[in-house]
Amino acid sequence: MVRVFSTPSCPYCVALKGFLKEHNIEFEDIDVSQNVEAQKEMIDKSGQYGVPVIDIDGEIIVGFNQERIKQLLKLI
Amino acid sequence: MLYDLIIIGGGPAGITAGIYAARKKLKTLLITKEWGGQITKAVDIENWPGTKKISGMGLMQQMTEHLKQFEIEIKEGKEVIDLDKKKENFIIRDNDQEYESKSVIIATGKIPRLLNVPGENEFKGKGVSICSTCDAPMFKDKDVAVAGGGNAGFNVALDMIKYAKKVYILDFFPEMKGDPITKDKLAQSGIVEFITDVAIKEIKGKKFVESLIYEDRKTGKDFEIKVAGVFISVGMMPKVGFAQKLVDLNQIGEIIIDKDNYTKTPGVFAAGDITDIKYEQIVIAAGEGAKAALAATEYLKNK
Repeated sequence: MVRVFSTPSCPYCVALKGFLKEHNIEFEDIDVSQNVEAQKEMIDKSGQYGVPVIDIDGEIIVGFNQERIKQLLKLI
Repeated sequence: MLYDLIIIGGGPAGITAGIYAARKKLKTLLITKEWGGQITKAVDIENWPGTKKISGMGLMQQMTEHLKQFEIEIKEGKEVIDLDKKKENFIIRDNDQEYESKSVIIATGKIPRLLNVPGENEFKGKGVSICSTCDAPMFKDKDVAVAGGGNAGFNVALDMIKYAKKVYILDFFPEMKGDPITKDKLAQSGIVEFITDVAIKEIKGKKFVESLIYEDRKTGKDFEIKVAGVFISVGMMPKVGFAQKLVDLNQIGEIIIDKDNYTKTPGVFAAGDITDIKYEQIVIAAGEGAKAALAATEYLKNK
């Protein structure tokens, strides 16, 4: 399962979600600016405050790290 | 391999230079650490002619796609560490390779200036941020500090007052340079405290940021404020260290160019925010990139 923790105004979040859509990857879109619980979960799991954070089957990636995301989603 | 032109930098200036150089059929290599540079942080761009509104990421993607349809060699994810002369030509080094070219365009732009204090690096992403549009919502009901009282710092504070419980704005100088109108707006929120004439000394915490220490420059006394976030907005600085042997810099480290983008070394051109051109805009950087590529073309022809 793919989950994306993001805020509405962050440019890299928009880019990340655009990238996933482009590759027809289904994902849960979690807006942490509106959801304190999810915010806490994101900070706990990633150990930091910065968005976006993507959770790919339990593996946490901070930021729009295209190479790593491609690897985990087997897009290369 | 000898190139006609090597372009260093993948922002609007470098990309436009690349498009022009490729169309002039120059044997061109573009080396960049990343695409877009500062524009990737822009939420909405509404002054790029022909496009009413676009995100910075969107514009950058369009620009790189446009560039890549031409015949041009590209090295991504590489940072140039040295530029030097070798007889008539130039040698450019990145971390693992060396390239030779008849001419060079430097378009490496600017990066955010940092405070260079303990804790700043250690707590990056753990309370220290340079992107308030990204991270502001993470500081709901928390106390935060904004380093820098210019217009950029004031805009960060405007993002923060929507979420934070209290916002401190700290400035090194006795007067903040940001617009008084914005300052009034911030003051009216009732949660902003302006602290001037101070030097930030340290950012402290355990797992995350917990406090900030600053020195009052008048009295030399240290103060500690409890904050969960520190947003750094103390201006931008040029990325020019690698080129210092061949170019002259102005007082703030920008490359001095003439009206045709020549630096002091014939064959070395510069374009965009890295130069001493006063106005820093995407459309201007793109125009300067085009000018530099045309000047390089002419230089190569007359060589």
